[in-house]
Amino acid sequence: MKITVCVKEVMDPDAVNNYAVAGRLEIGPDGKTLTQTAIPKLMNGFDEQAIEAALQLRDAGADFTLTVVSAGPEPDKMLKHAAALGAQEIVSIPVDPAQIDHHAVATLLAAQIENSGGADLILCGRQASDDDQGVVPALIAERLGMPVVTVARAVELHGEKLRITRVTPEGDEVVEVACPAVVTISNEIGDPRYPTASAKVKARRVKPTVTSPADLNLGEAELQPRVMLTRQFVPEVQGNCEFLQGEPAEVANELIQRLEADSVL
Amino acid sequence: MSENAIVVCTWSTGRDGLPEGAEEILHIGRGVAGALGKDLTWLVLGPLPQAAGELAGKYGVAQLHHAEDPKLDPAGSDACVEAIAAYWNEHSPATLIVHQTGEARVVAPRVAGRLGKAVVMNSISVEAVDSNYQVTASAYGGDTRVIYEVGGGSVLAFIANAVVPEPGEGPALTPEAISLDLSNAEERVQVVQEASFDGPRLDDAEIIVSGGRGLGSADNYKLIEELAAALGGLPGASRPIVDEGWVDSSRQVGLTGRITRPNLYIAVGISGASQHMAGCSAAGTIVAINRDADAAIFQYARYGIQGDALEILPELIRAASSR
Repeated sequence: MKITVCVKEVMDPDAVNNYAVAGRLEIGPDGKTLTQTAIPKLMNGFDEQAIEAALQLRDAGADFTLTVVSAGPEPDKMLKHAAALGAQEIVSIPVDPAQIDHHAVATLLAAQIENSGGADLILCGRQASDDDQGVVPALIAERLGMPVVTVARAVELHGEKLRITRVTPEGDEVVEVACPAVVTISNEIGDPRYPTASAKVKARRVKPTVTSPADLNLGEAELQPRVMLTRQFVPEVQGNCEFLQGEPAEVANELIQRLEADSVL
Repeated sequence: MSENAIVVCTWSTGRDGLPEGAEEILHIGRGVAGALGKDLTWLVLGPLPQAAGELAGKYGVAQLHHAEDPKLDPAGSDACVEAIAAYWNEHSPATLIVHQTGEARVVAPRVAGRLGKAVVMNSISVEAVDSNYQVTASAYGGDTRVIYEVGGGSVLAFIANAVVPEPGEGPALTPEAISLDLSNAEERVQVVQEASFDGPRLDDAEIIVSGGRGLGSADNYKLIEELAAALGGLPGASRPIVDEGWVDSSRQVGLTGRITRPNLYIAVGISGASQHMAGCSAAGTIVAINRDADAAIFQYARYGIQGDALEILPELIRAASSR
């Protein structure tokens, strides 16, 4: 059995948020990209949780080869982290993010998966924490003619069948789907594990398989972007907060009175 | 002919007999059609809600298309994708608009993938620029906005819960039945255990009291539940305490949780990260209780209380209970 996890490198969303909250988030002269060079880049958290989902299947006794693949500017460091976590193969498709869109990323990833003999299960994070779009998994599924199940908190393998617990507004839903399939993982699966120190050392020597659009027989026509980012900006928040002062009992009474006077209560 | 219309597509019926967020997405559709100078079509897949004709009239819909098929009742995502693709080949919409429900998060990109169309999720607004469209969407959990340029014939998913629909006046429309070939549609994903929660949902709540890490420990979340009960509302939570396992994820308010629009939102011990605010910033009135006077949450709040949540909550519960 083969499991492929697709991962993306993003700017640390917590660091981005800290800059935003402090009013110091700035967009560069191109009008599109964040300028803070101090913000570390790391593997998208949901993607790390997709690797965790694969490792949980392994813990449960499933026997498979784990491949982790990424298409992006320089995915190698992040892929070594995947190797330290237990990926047998890491695949890097270096591309300039300014030249591609989600369709192109999905086309590259799907072609790589097909070229390497397919996969029985493709795991992705539910969305990337930079653009929040979450469309690549469904686009890969359509390219490969696979079903897609989203926002999973648990994945079990029963023979050729997957049993997946999904997070929905009405509570958890359990679905079954036959392999091959694409499944997206949500944060509810829990914190991803850390690699051991010795696995980290070993992973340093793991070389990623590097492939290119040309290797995958994909040219400009196939990778033509349909969605182009033209501008990014920081939205303004209109603050008009009135602070209520006094002892806890006083502010509690005053708040209730204010809300009643405003007809909110 | 409805060629090159803005098409709002809905499927499945929610608790009130209408597709979830139907009015909100029609409100958005009317705005988009106006901005782009196009007609608005409403495509209903599956059983036609009784109020559909009347609702269409109130939101300036020019054509109400309705496709009935056993495979669309209830509509699985494979049948939905097949139906929209078949409709597209016949009617080539200028833009297809959906309300970004969990199902739409699957259906919208799959339709785009199948037809090779552009797709944008988390859309907020759209305007025409020359022959292209510029779509403003939320990114970085709401920390930034991005503007994407797409060509005609794209799929846009809007976070419709965040708007307040404003129905207008207009005569009810007569639905026009259309037939779509779904013979190839086969649901590949089988639901073996349905989501069983049927209590009040955060999405529909008028009053929400949410707690975050500032509560200090899981035990203190009961104060949030007590205050919510005293006010006749529902308890909510920020993502960090859901991830910590203090409360179930069905309580999570935010971009990856529930998008809510209550009259009153009380945020206790929540810093106001954008990804949380994406789930509550449409609230009528926001009250923030936080130890840190510089917390971002105060920028969104109408009333703020700087102090220890554990000292203030018992007093608020008392004051709310004695109303």
